[in-house]
Amino acid sequence: MQATTGEKIAFRLRWLRRRPSLVLGAVLVGFIVLMAILAPWLAPADPYQQNLMQALLPPSADHWMGTDAFGRDVFSRILYGARLSLLEVALGVGIAVMTGVPLGLVAGTIGGRTDHVIMWLMDVLFAFPGIVLAILIVSILGPTLINMLIAIAIFSIPIYARLTRNLTLGLKQLEYVQAARALGAGRLRIMFDHILRNALGPIIVQATLTAGTVVLTAASLSFLGLGAQPPTPEWGAMMSDGRNFLGVALWVSFFPGLAVTISVLGFNILGDGLRDLLDPRS
Amino acid sequence: MTNRPIFSKSIRTALMASSVALLALGAQAETLTVMQSEAPRSMDPADQTATFTQVVLAPMYEGLVGRNSDLAIVPLLATEWAPDDTGLVWTFQLRDGVTFHDGTPLDAAAVVASFERLLDPARGLAAAGRVAAVLESVEAVDDMTVSFTLIQPYAGFIDLLATAVGYIVSPTADAAGTLGTNAVGTGPFSFVEWQSGEHVTQTANPDYWGEMPTLEGLEFTWTSEPSVLSMAAQTGEADVVNPLPPIFAQTVEADPNLTLIDQPGSAMFWVSLNVLDEPLDHVAARQALNFATDRDALVSALRRGYAVAANSPLAPTNPAWDASLDPYPYDLDRARALLAEAGVPDGFSMSVAVQEPEAPIAEALQGMWSDIGVDLEVRRLESGVWVEAAFNDPEAKAEDGLSAVIASWSSGSFNSDLQFRPLYSTGAWAPGGANLGFFTSEALDAIIDEAAAELDEDARNALYVEAQRIVNQEAPHVLLYSNRDLAATSANVEGITMLPGGLILVANATKSN
Amino acid sequence: MQAYFVKKLLMLPLILLGVSFIVFVSIRALPGDPARLMAGPEATQQAVDDMRVRLGLEQPLPIQYAGFLMDAVRGDFGTSIRSQKPVSEELASRFGATMSLAAVAYFFATLIGVPAGMAAAVWKGRAPDQIVMIVAILGASVANFWLALIMMDYFAVQKGWLPLLGMGGPAHYVLPSITLGLLPMALVARMTRSSMIETLEQDYIRTARAKGLGAFRVYRRHALRNAMIPIVTIIGLNFGGVVGSTVVTETIFNWPGIGRLLVDAVRFRDYPIIQGVTLLAVVSVVVVNFLADLLISVLDPRVRFG
Repeated sequence: MQATTGEKIAFRLRWLRRRPSLVLGAVLVGFIVLMAILAPWLAPADPYQQNLMQALLPPSADHWMGTDAFGRDVFSRILYGARLSLLEVALGVGIAVMTGVPLGLVAGTIGGRTDHVIMWLMDVLFAFPGIVLAILIVSILGPTLINMLIAIAIFSIPIYARLTRNLTLGLKQLEYVQAARALGAGRLRIMFDHILRNALGPIIVQATLTAGTVVLTAASLSFLGLGAQPPTPEWGAMMSDGRNFLGVALWVSFFPGLAVTISVLGFNILGDGLRDLLDPRS
Repeated sequence: MTNRPIFSKSIRTALMASSVALLALGAQAETLTVMQSEAPRSMDPADQTATFTQVVLAPMYEGLVGRNSDLAIVPLLATEWAPDDTGLVWTFQLRDGVTFHDGTPLDAAAVVASFERLLDPARGLAAAGRVAAVLESVEAVDDMTVSFTLIQPYAGFIDLLATAVGYIVSPTADAAGTLGTNAVGTGPFSFVEWQSGEHVTQTANPDYWGEMPTLEGLEFTWTSEPSVLSMAAQTGEADVVNPLPPIFAQTVEADPNLTLIDQPGSAMFWVSLNVLDEPLDHVAARQALNFATDRDALVSALRRGYAVAANSPLAPTNPAWDASLDPYPYDLDRARALLAEAGVPDGFSMSVAVQEPEAPIAEALQGMWSDIGVDLEVRRLESGVWVEAAFNDPEAKAEDGLSAVIASWSSGSFNSDLQFRPLYSTGAWAPGGANLGFFTSEALDAIIDEAAAELDEDARNALYVEAQRIVNQEAPHVLLYSNRDLAATSANVEGITMLPGGLILVANATKSN
Repeated sequence: MQAYFVKKLLMLPLILLGVSFIVFVSIRALPGDPARLMAGPEATQQAVDDMRVRLGLEQPLPIQYAGFLMDAVRGDFGTSIRSQKPVSEELASRFGATMSLAAVAYFFATLIGVPAGMAAAVWKGRAPDQIVMIVAILGASVANFWLALIMMDYFAVQKGWLPLLGMGGPAHYVLPSITLGLLPMALVARMTRSSMIETLEQDYIRTARAKGLGAFRVYRRHALRNAMIPIVTIIGLNFGGVVGSTVVTETIFNWPGIGRLLVDAVRFRDYPIIQGVTLLAVVSVVVVNFLADLLISVLDPRVRFG
């Protein structure tokens, strides 16, 4: 049966309408991505240009979101900050996934003592409250954006290791995986070819949800003075600097706070939508 | 120049009102809550050098002499004193009938013990260096007479005794080793409790030898959040907030329930340049940074105008301050010319270590100096790490690649020696002193020594004017500004004294309903 | 199932050993010399060296670790460098404050989260559901320190309804516990919703309703038991997050708990306190996780571990 183009589009629209979280999440995250890409064209001012005589001006036609304590344009800094937030998400989630997933795969596939040791390590890491571990790590490595991301990634590793291991254990029992083994495929190949491909869905869902956590934890660490260093227009650092003017110049922290909330909201909603899509059971 | 301080009107009114309140019978006994920006470091006055710790200790301890609200030296535990003809030996007559809070009587032995611990290097007390640099020995002449022998005549000796390092501590408590957590002095308030995350509480000392305080007790709390300081004042959860972040000064002034204390301060903020580091070893490079610093903009943006742009290493409250100096107007062309002279016409890269509260200064300088091609790497460090980085010796600093440190210094008295010697003399190179950039000038060293031994005030101040010129010319620091001291009190609180440097004295305060 | 818990119980000391090692090593790796810090900025090198001996920092690391382990087993975590009080004493006086705040936060989270989640399940796909889900997801998306300061400015400063700082009467708990409880509240609401939806679709519920039992009675009979499971699950899973959040919450509200103690200790490099707080935080997380597992298996016999 041939479907016309119109029917196809209508079908897709209907499909999307039944998944409002997916659409809303994608729109919000897409909005942040657009900000990041278009920052140089949209920003009315250089995000680093100070003008101390114009410090802490309220929002106006010249400065839509006011100026900060150094007379920099808050709106321009928020636009450029979107780039940093996306970088944080990519790196923070990336490191956690790249470390946690292989560990879980190895533990689940090989089993035995290897499994015990890896899972013991993961339990130890998981026992640390995330912020406490991050405080320790950043205090040791020094407060930079990258070190902060390493810290955030480290406490997310156990989540991916456990998730992947459990998925692996489940998939190992499946007929076709066992069939592949019977056909003489090597253990490594089975791991990557079958298990990983099938476990990808839940991992992507989890990664989207972790993205929100990364942005929020980054803000908390900035609050504790352990985040990005000045003059980086990082949203968490901007909120954290701006909080010292609360009650007098709310805009300095309000707009970065709004940006953080919107982006975390976007990732959380998108994660929900993806879960509904990829895991029909829940 | 007179050294008469300029008091804000509100303080003068408050002082007058407090003497009236003292006469009022049946005044309500109240507890005064004081909130500051940092926790006390120790309950032992000799084991700390922090102004906001001294604020907590001041009601509990007394020195041989103190300062009254007019900033004049007054007798406390000593009733009279005099130097001998050489200026080397100072003899103090102690007050009769004074006991420490633990019942130990105040006598010559107690005073001797209180200073001898400062001279004992094995004790490792944090503020010991200030006394050890000056004092040769201390001994009891008789039961109630003490004599101090100085290393050389020292004009600022009496000023030094009026600071926290001169507080007399109970010899019993010191011997027990508990002084660090449990204060025992002779002051109008006695120590009750130090809950390290929460508060220090004190209660009026019923056996106080002097005029009894009207307050029943004192409570000191602290927060690292500037906006919380302001909020605590506005809600009345703190009766006194010190220091008040300048951004909130207008709010406090406009609030009928609050009083703003605004006085010229003595804390001088600066960037110490490592003169062993290229190209900062070249005086022209250091001068270039000075010309590239827009001090008025710093004062306006970071202090909302509540500061005075620096024109010398001394604050305007210092009697030796020279108002006529104007070494470094903001001038980018001269800065660039000097950079060329230093052999780095296109600028250079340098790093600076700064603590969290001063981080905005570093960020502003980063912006300003980029205009002459100087790339400033800001290292924002927690206090513990900062202290180590800032006070490293030359080798460690070179290895660390640290070219500069941002800090402030307040000698806490009107003793210019304590503003020059620890910061600029050759003998004060870090880690032993606060000459963090390893500056050396024979001429300046000689003047500092000469001035310290000069007992005539006018002649001494003339020498310090010369010292200011040398420091300005040689530019071991980029001098930024001296703060105005800001604090907020509830409108029903009176009788608070603010000494330059942010040292508030609350023991004589009154609080009405 | 018993075997599962015995195994988990046996793992506890192993996990704590790993934790203690990480804590010990990382604390020694922190930049900043506590001896210099304690001796003060103007101290001589001699004074700094003396301080190092006084603090026992000159011994080789393995000996320091062995000593640390032996002491830790006896509940002795040394003496705070700063306050010179025993660490155990400092922790004891602070732990209660943190736990009472966490308990109140969870109480609020449950009190609001469960009914909200149930309402969302009952009216699935309609306005109440959408409102609850939007609020829940917003609650999980706001930076807590920012929300805390804005709430303080509004409710304590401008309106004067609530106290600003510190621990005192019940009113003191409101703002900090909202700050701390918002995320668990959001999670409880979502968990309750999904588990209720699952329950409502079970055959026995349909039968009960078909038999003419009132909707309300059905929900009450089956919902309560089902609501317990998500709450316990969330407490178990999220407890580490809440303990971590107390670091920020207590700093802002001057709450005299272990979170604020940790921030101060890191600032002043008070090694014994950092060690003590971290270990205590981890032990409480491990224990709460274990108890939560145990409780879930009691509440929900369908759950099998292994």
